[in-house]
Amino acid sequence: MSEPAVTHTGTEAQHSAGFPPFKTESFPSQIFWLVVAFAALFIVLWRFAGPRIAGVIGQRKGQIAGDLAAADKHKSDAEAALAAYETALATARAKAHAEADAGRKVLEAEAEKAKAAADAEAREATAAADAQIAAKRAEAATHVTKAAQDAAAEIVNRLIGVSVTPDEAAAAVKAVGA
Amino acid sequence: MAMNPMEQFEIKPVIFHDPLFSIAGHPIYFTNQALFMLIAVAVATLFLTATVSKGRLVPTRGQSMAELSYEFVANMIQSTMGSDGLKFFPLIFTIFVFVLFQNFLGLIPWTFTATSQIAITFTLASFVILIMVVTGFMKQGLGFLKLFVPSAPWYLLILLVPIEVISFLTRPISLSVRLFANMLAGHTLLAVFASFVVLLGAAGGILSVAAVAPFLLIVAIFALEMLVAALQAYVFAILTCIYLNEAIHHANH
Repeated sequence: MSEPAVTHTGTEAQHSAGFPPFKTESFPSQIFWLVVAFAALFIVLWRFAGPRIAGVIGQRKGQIAGDLAAADKHKSDAEAALAAYETALATARAKAHAEADAGRKVLEAEAEKAKAAADAEAREATAAADAQIAAKRAEAATHVTKAAQDAAAEIVNRLIGVSVTPDEAAAAVKAVGA
Repeated sequence: MAMNPMEQFEIKPVIFHDPLFSIAGHPIYFTNQALFMLIAVAVATLFLTATVSKGRLVPTRGQSMAELSYEFVANMIQSTMGSDGLKFFPLIFTIFVFVLFQNFLGLIPWTFTATSQIAITFTLASFVILIMVVTGFMKQGLGFLKLFVPSAPWYLLILLVPIEVISFLTRPISLSVRLFANMLAGHTLLAVFASFVVLLGAAGGILSVAAVAPFLLIVAIFALEMLVAALQAYVFAILTCIYLNEAIHHANH
């Protein structure tokens, strides 16, 4: 390998004498350049390319995981918001019920009071009317007694011609009425 | 024009005719092999750094391929060695990428296939076995030697231990020859059929028409060689994983 093959004779014959891969005189150069090339590639892959590719892949995985986590968080946030909304709705509904109940109770109490007042008034009016009726009845009763006395006196006078004093007539009516 | 299919494996100095320097009396030339080996490393570097430099969330085609090759090797290590094998990731990734790019670059005409040289593949394989042995003794101490002692009755061990030792010693040979022979055979085949095309074409007449046949064969073999290039890189890498796995985990035969 000391000189390039140029002619069919001389150096060429010398060169082609062996199977090229088994020509040991080329081995030192081969091994030297293999070490150089391999070491260069090793350093590049170990120090630069490998970490860089790993970084890119890791970054993508991280991004995907982060996005999924964010999506999960959004989902749980939405669920929490829904739960909060439902709680608020339930609270509001309960409050509305309570207020409606309270309002109804106030109204019922007022109605009750009004009814009681009306009842009392009605009773008073009834009592007054009763008293009036009793007074009228008593008065009527006196009138009836008087009429009976007068009638009795008149009847006696007509029947037997005896005039009767009002006191006697009254006594007689009283005796009969008793 | 010499139609020697072995010519493509000839290692020649390029650019500089004289040795650059010498190591322990051995002259070191800058050869066609060195040139294409460095080009392959440069292409691999470009492929694995430039494509991911932007680090897009939605990868471009190139970035996707770089990521795929990374995850392919990572998964290979996970499945053969488990998670604690991942500390060998830079080494195995380098071996895979190195062999893959040497194989693929060599398929381009007028390039040089570094992995078609036994010196290259044997050095790589010996390096892998050396790492395996060093790691094995560091991790398991003398227990690493149990690798040679399968669980069997003692009278069988007399037979089995030498077999295990021999099979261990042949590992660097099988690992290196497999890659070397595949590359060498494929490229030789392509060169032989290419020379048929030239010979038949030059013969003239009906023979020139017949030159289409070896040409079509070259297309088919080239497709096969692309598969072999990727497959051999994978095989080399996965065998490295399997050997290193024996070094970090107790062998249970």
